Amino acid sequence: MELVCLGLNHETAPVEVREQFAVAAEQQGAKARELTELNSIAESVVLSTCNRTEIYIAAEQAEQGAKILHDYLACDHNAVEMEHIYQKVGTDARAHLFRLVSGLNSMVIGETEIFGQVKQAYRQALESGATKGILNKLFQKSFTVGKRIRTNTRIQMGQTSVGSVAVDLAEKIFGKLKGSHVMVIGAGEVSRQVAQSMLSRGASEVTVTNRTHERAVDLAEALGGASVPFDSWEKTLVSADIVVSSTGATDPVLKAAQIEQVRRKRKFRPLFLIDIAVPRDIEPAAGEIEEVYLYDIDKLQQLANEAKNSRAEQLRICEQMIQEEL
Amino acid sequence: MDIFVMDKWTLLIATLLAAAAAIQGASYVRRGVRSPWTMAWLLLSFIAQMVLLGMRGEMRGACPLGDTGEVLIFAAWALTMCYLLEGSVYRLSLLGVFTSPLVAFLLALALIPGMLDSNPVHIDHADAWGEAHAALSVLAYGALGLAAVAGVMFLLLNQRLKDGELNNVLFKNLPPVRELSRVVMRLLVLGFTILTLGLVCGLVMEKSGDVTRHLIVALCQWGAYATLLTLEWRRGMPPRKLALAAVILFILSLSIFPLL
Repeated sequence: MELVCLGLNHETAPVEVREQFAVAAEQQGAKARELTELNSIAESVVLSTCNRTEIYIAAEQAEQGAKILHDYLACDHNAVEMEHIYQKVGTDARAHLFRLVSGLNSMVIGETEIFGQVKQAYRQALESGATKGILNKLFQKSFTVGKRIRTNTRIQMGQTSVGSVAVDLAEKIFGKLKGSHVMVIGAGEVSRQVAQSMLSRGASEVTVTNRTHERAVDLAEALGGASVPFDSWEKTLVSADIVVSSTGATDPVLKAAQIEQVRRKRKFRPLFLIDIAVPRDIEPAAGEIEEVYLYDIDKLQQLANEAKNSRAEQLRICEQMIQEEL
Repeated sequence: MDIFVMDKWTLLIATLLAAAAAIQGASYVRRGVRSPWTMAWLLLSFIAQMVLLGMRGEMRGACPLGDTGEVLIFAAWALTMCYLLEGSVYRLSLLGVFTSPLVAFLLALALIPGMLDSNPVHIDHADAWGEAHAALSVLAYGALGLAAVAGVMFLLLNQRLKDGELNNVLFKNLPPVRELSRVVMRLLVLGFTILTLGLVCGLVMEKSGDVTRHLIVALCQWGAYATLLTLEWRRGMPPRKLALAAVILFILSLSIFPLL
């Protein structure tokens, strides 16, 4: 019996193609069972998530099994869509599944959701009677490998983009961002992205200010927040938890003295300052205030690069562990 | 086995269990993962401490706070109990890893010959106020000690955030600074409340011998915590200062032990 995997994912196919191959979560078991009724396919597991659809089969002969499966898929999809399909056989297919379960093939490397999704797809196939000795053993083994990699490596550690690093830092300062107030100074694109990330993680309030007030109003509307005129934004500093600044100003927009003035009113709550402007918007002395955490663009970029290097090293260790398990 | 020997063995077991929590916890942290066993080790140590305190209570016929060794064991027990309550309710990551060395240290101190009276005097008449004073004061040490532990965790994380050192295992596993700061405050309030009750019991208990120095130190300690909490309540305080004060005050509070 030989192992074959056919599928497509976010790296090989755009969303409009992926959605053509998607199988509803509750239908994965029935689909797997349907495939085992095809000639020469003895076992099958169908996995479908937002980023991928993959079919694992055990067949007498890999080549024949792959062809039958390919033809089966081609019945419902045109040639252009079928071009996005990849095929893995034997050890390659095993290694592919181990990487998948470990989160190494995910859009966010090391994420853990895929582990549960594969488990659910396997359980459905098992319950529908679509799996036997080969795939049962393979999937059980893949879960062991996935757990081993997560326990013994730091693959999911660290963010690799400036925006993600900023959000990670905010969560390390405030915990859950629910109830946090984000102040955006300057209506640039990067500010918008960072503020959007904070909102997506639970920040409940956003205030935007900009020299051109209309742009502040537009961005505030887009983010579902409020805008304040540029000459009176300082009052917002009392209630803000996170300040994202990216103006084109040549002199500091936010000075240490301004923060000193409102410390008592803020009851010394932590204040996270993100300065993504060049030249810098926030006076470096602000970072010396005890409850203030100041990060400029260089620092954020450096942290993102360190995480990238660390992740590359962890990926190498993960691949080594997978090779040992094959 | 004779109960006078068994208590030493139980103390040794409790110490080793706490040390195991500390060593294994630290090794997990170094590997970048959370130890799933720290709470279990400390729970076992806590049970051993309870058995030990039960034995000593039986020997004394009163609350086992008759010598420095017993006070150290009682303090370790209170600290472990606070951790088990705080840790299990708020699931504060790494709190056990930071608490277990302090528990092991207090128990190890009690192991030093002379600390634990081998043949404790059986007390026929126990003053209830005196026992409540001693028990509440040591319980307060548990809460204030844990506040100091959380303070150390805050200071470590705060420094890393200030320096921008994100890519290390400590940074990854420590709880957020705001949460740590709240824990420090919560434990300080709890510890201070129990300390106040203990002090009140101390004022009405039967006095024997010279208690002046002990009373002065106790009042200074209470006054220092009262000042800290009043300052925080009235005008607020940077979280770093609060954490630092929790650590320093707890270390200074330990100076009361030689006066017992």
